[in-house]
Formats: sequence, C-alpha cells, structure tokens
Amino acid sequence: MGYKTYASFGLPTFLIIIVALYLLFTDSGEAFNVGRFLEETSPFVWGSLGIGLCIGLSVLGAGWGIFLTGASILGGGVRTPRISTKNLISIIFCEVVAIYGVIMGIVYSSKLQTVSEAQLYTRDNYFTGYALFFGGLTVGFCNLLCGLCVGIAGSTAALADAADPTLFVKVLVVEVFGSVLGLFGLIIGLLMIGNAKEFLPGSPVVSAVRI
Amino acid sequence: MPAELCPPYAPFFGFAGVASAMIFSTVGAAFGTAKAGIGIAGLGTFKPELIMKSLVPVVMAGIIAVYGLVVSVLIAGNLTPSKGYPLAAGFIHLGAGISCGMTGIAAGYAIGLVGDSCVRAYVHEQRVFVSMILILIFAEVLGLYGLIVALLMNTRVTGLAGTCD
Repeated sequence: MGYKTYASFGLPTFLIIIVALYLLFTDSGEAFNVGRFLEETSPFVWGSLGIGLCIGLSVLGAGWGIFLTGASILGGGVRTPRISTKNLISIIFCEVVAIYGVIMGIVYSSKLQTVSEAQLYTRDNYFTGYALFFGGLTVGFCNLLCGLCVGIAGSTAALADAADPTLFVKVLVVEVFGSVLGLFGLIIGLLMIGNAKEFLPGSPVVSAVRI
Repeated sequence: MPAELCPPYAPFFGFAGVASAMIFSTVGAAFGTAKAGIGIAGLGTFKPELIMKSLVPVVMAGIIAVYGLVVSVLIAGNLTPSKGYPLAAGFIHLGAGISCGMTGIAAGYAIGLVGDSCVRAYVHEQRVFVSMILILIFAEVLGLYGLIVALLMNTRVTGLAGTCD
C-alpha cells in the first residue's frame, strides 16, 4: 500500500473513528446533531456559498474547456492554419457556460437582502438559503461538466477538421449535445429558486435559535 | 408533534435530492458524450459517411441527462416554502435523487465506453452496428431503472401530505 492510499483512505477514516469514539466515551454523543447544525448556521452562509460555487465552478468548467479546445486548435493549426478561425466556435460554446454561471449568480444575488440577526431565522429564510446553496451547486457542477465535455468534443472536432474539412459540421453535433447539459443545469437552478422568496425579516422559528 | 415532524431544516434534504439527481446524471451524460465523441471523430477521419449512424451513443448519453432533469423537476415541484414539508419527505426526495443520479453515472459510463469502442470497430466491420445498438440499449436501461425507482419513491411523498398541520 502506497503513501497515497494511506493518506487518502486511511487518515480520514482514522480521524473520523477517533473523533466518534471520543464523543461516545466522554458522554457527549449529543454534540453530533445534524439538525441543530442546520438550524444554527445562518441562511446567509448557505446563500453566499451557493452563489460563490455557482460562478466559481461554472468559470472553472469554461476555462477547462477553453484550454482543452485551444491547445488542440493551436497544435493542429501549425500544419493546417485554415482550421483556426472556424474552430473558434468551439471556444464560444465553452464560454457560454461561464455566461450561464454569471446569469445565475446575478439572479441568485437578488435574493440576498439585509436582515438583522434577531429576525433572520424564519422558515422562509431557511428555505431560501438551502435553495440558493443547492441551486448554485447544481448550476456550478452542471456547467463544470458541460465545459469539460464540450472542451473534449471541441478538441476532437479541431483535429478531425485538420484531417478533413468536411468533418467539422458533423462532429459539431456532438458538441451541441454536450452544451445542452449546461442548459439543463440552468433550468433546474431557476426552478429551485422560483418558489423561494428573498430574505425577509420575520419572527424566528422558536426551536431554532440558541444564541 | 407536527413541529418535530416538520422542522425548518427539512428542505435541505429535499434540495439535496434535486441537486444529486441533476449533478450525478450530468456526470454520466458528460462522460458518455465526450468518450463517444472521441470515437466518432476517429471514425470520421476514415469513413465520413458513417458518422450520422454512429451518433447514436451521443444521443443516448443525452437521454441520461434528461432522466436526471425529469426527476429534479418532479422533486423541485414538491418544494414550496408555504406548504408544510415533513422531514420524511425530505429524506425520501434525497433517496430518489441519489438513486436516479448514481444509476445515471453508471449508465453514462457504460454508454461512453461501449460507444467509443464500438464505433471504432464499425470502421472495419459494418455488421457491428446492430450489436452496438443492443448493448447501448442495455446500458441505457440502467438509467431507466434509476428513474423508475425515483418516481416510485416520489409517489410515496403524497401520502405524507397531512403531517404538518
């Protein structure tokens, strides 16, 4: 067994077991309380994390796709310079994924209104916080995967174009199927936030706040 | 009793279900599309006239993403801030989302690898096409099983409608 296996599987398992046994044997097992954690964390945490992950992961996907495609276009362009202009459309397909992330970031950030701490912990605000977090996560990861997929497809399209100019339009169909994945993420992101109201002050849910 | 059964953090698990259904099936769909696309471009450099028929793996990988979309839309439709949302419903939705998503990863992975190697064989031997379609159908059906289980679990949630009043 190498160092990597021990570090990635052994160490986290060991730490988790030690912490769990410590809590168990010092009669503080109640300290592990998922419900209390979810009630205590501010909805602003969830909302801000969601928006940050939304734009961050989308741009990561777009950048990854652009460098995958760009490297192939530039490499193939050494021998066949004619491919460089037509294959920029693959780069644009990847860029569009980042635009989706920006749009969703703007839409989500309109829900982040200032509410004082004493009036924050209402049912609706919890709902909006969770919707923003998972909506941002969905949009971000779907755009990341879409960017990767379109990047790989664009890279192969560039090299196929270099081999035979008639192939470009046919291999572009694969890219179109790939780019539809980002669109699905956008749709689900919008659907999740559709019912959620913005952060509004209200009377806190009684069981929740333990200041 | 209703306050304990419908805590304010119940939508966390519901939304986690929506996110898992969409994200994990997109993993499968993206892998399938990219892997099969590599094979198709390779096929195209030798036999360009066969490209249209060999786009089948890419279409089937796209369908995996549609399965995830369907389950996500279905679960998200049940999540509203005004109506009471029991914690049990949240866990059921999380399970439904995970079932659809993980089977989507499996199906997309299979479709990608099968599509890639079969279209490369299609260049040399045209009769491989029918076997490729059959194998792809069996791989696609894995995602369908996940969708069916997710839909079945989702119908259970309607039985919990009155617990929050």
